[in-house]
Amino acid sequence: MSEAAIVADGLTKQFGNGRGCRDVTIAVEAGEAFGFLGPNGAGKSTFVKMMVGLVMPTSGKGTLLGQPIGSLPSKRLIGYLPELYRYQEWLTGEEVVRLHARLCGVDRQAADRRVPRLLEDVGIGLRGRDRVKHYSKGMQQRLGLACALVGDPPIVFLDEPSSALDPIGRMEVRRLLERLKAQGKTVFLNSHLLEDVEAVCDRIALMNDGRILRHGRVADVLQQRLRWRFKVGGFSDAALGWLREESGLPVGIPPDAGSDRDGAVWLEADLANEEQAGWLNALIVEQGLTLYEAGPRSERLESWFANAVAGLNHRGERE
Amino acid sequence: MTVIFGMTWREMLRKRVVLLTLLLTLAFLVAFWFIAQTIGSAGSIAGLDPNGGEALMERFARGAFLLTLGYFFGAFVVAFLSIFSSFSAIAGEAEQGVLQAMLPRPVPRWQWYLGRWLGYVTMGVLYAFLLYVAILGITQWHASVPRDAVSLAEAFLLFAMPVPILAAVSMLGSGFLSALGNGVFMTMLYGAGWLGGMIEKLGGQMPLGAVVLAPLSKISGLIALVMPVDGLQGKMLAVLFDYGSLGSLMPVGANPMNQFAFGQVPSASFVVYAGIYGLAALGLGLWRFERKDL
Repeated sequence: MSEAAIVADGLTKQFGNGRGCRDVTIAVEAGEAFGFLGPNGAGKSTFVKMMVGLVMPTSGKGTLLGQPIGSLPSKRLIGYLPELYRYQEWLTGEEVVRLHARLCGVDRQAADRRVPRLLEDVGIGLRGRDRVKHYSKGMQQRLGLACALVGDPPIVFLDEPSSALDPIGRMEVRRLLERLKAQGKTVFLNSHLLEDVEAVCDRIALMNDGRILRHGRVADVLQQRLRWRFKVGGFSDAALGWLREESGLPVGIPPDAGSDRDGAVWLEADLANEEQAGWLNALIVEQGLTLYEAGPRSERLESWFANAVAGLNHRGERE
Repeated sequence: MTVIFGMTWREMLRKRVVLLTLLLTLAFLVAFWFIAQTIGSAGSIAGLDPNGGEALMERFARGAFLLTLGYFFGAFVVAFLSIFSSFSAIAGEAEQGVLQAMLPRPVPRWQWYLGRWLGYVTMGVLYAFLLYVAILGITQWHASVPRDAVSLAEAFLLFAMPVPILAAVSMLGSGFLSALGNGVFMTMLYGAGWLGGMIEKLGGQMPLGAVVLAPLSKISGLIALVMPVDGLQGKMLAVLFDYGSLGSLMPVGANPMNQFAFGQVPSASFVVYAGIYGLAALGLGLWRFERKDL
């Protein structure tokens, strides 16, 4: 088993207003891409800030490749794109990246090679010669990515890396994340863009109200429930009741699917396997309904997220 | 630390803080030149033998007035430059999000803090030096005031001493207050110190009894402890003019027309206190910054 790159053991930060995060315990393996999800105000950024040394934990401990969080050796291992980012607007983009390179201890020759390439990679290119004050928010976010990567760190913490980007920019960032992963870097991705998390991350954790609510492998999370949909004709409420009774399965009408013009109705059921789907098919036909279409509908991370936090208090919305 | 130090200097140059300050200072110096020329012209000492003792005393008094006027302005500019260059060093950059990107870098927080402080201080002291020399040169040209090199050097150190103190207090405040709040706080604090100095100067020159003067002196003394910068300016003028030995020859500090003069000369202990005050502010600011959540 590879060494854990990111370890949090009962990490807690409690602010005076009751916010923060409590008793967070996670381990991210080296080379893994880890998605950190949660509603606004859940405490995700606080956790990341503790890991990069911006916020002092109230209790608990954490390490980055064995180095205590907040220590200089641990800071040498990380690149960080903050959620709230601004860069020295009196510098050019290239100067900002060079400044971060110097702070990381990158020598001048290495910086000369690395900085132009990074600016190209994040889509800034020759605009690196412009002052940051002329940059849009999206450009500043790209600049932040370049700054996070200029020290060639083995661990990268990215807090909403594409929140200010247009669709093309988001796609570019997703490709960049995939490249980082392919290079063997550990990526800790804090994002609301669940498509990115789904595409890039190996594992995820869901935080709500300062605590880890769920965690697991993305593949497992998405296969936890196999949801099937059936398009049927000649439907009646009595038929639905009969199907439920006979099959013993939670058959229902999905809220987002209305009836078609021809009167056909979509039915939906969470099934454990394909045998159950076959059994349900047979019952629909036996009941005299017309079966137009049937098939599995894999759950997206978005609906997993929505289901997981449904009915819970979200601190970000409570203010 | 050198990277942060260099960044601070570059910031001041790029934001044109230095350029603007120098241009406005130049405008002041031009005005000061003409004021000095008018006041210090030999022809205005009418009815006195140009080589006589009275004329000499009069010339010295005029030169002293000019220097006091110049350094009165200079102290203000140096103080405000020190305050306004550093008042948003922490809060402002944290509010903007600049610090959040910088501090996870492998640089100890104390180095970041000291790098910034040293940047502000070196710039402020260099500016203070240029201003000090310029005011001295203009006064010397129009109304020569004899001084020795040791007094000049000592006076300069006292003239520049508010820079590290104000930068330290301003950065300390920036660790607790918002950028705007700290700007207001520092201006009020400096203003209070200046007011305390004025109370003492004017109180000493007005025909007030001991019953009134005693509490006034106590109030101004307390204010000077809270913000010792104005006292340093008084001490600087005392050193520059060697008031100790001059006071027996002429009433330099008690001229009712001279609101820039002062009542009591702050002691050497006061200067030591001001130094400790600045170091304490720096240390407390460092302590606060090391523990600050961003």
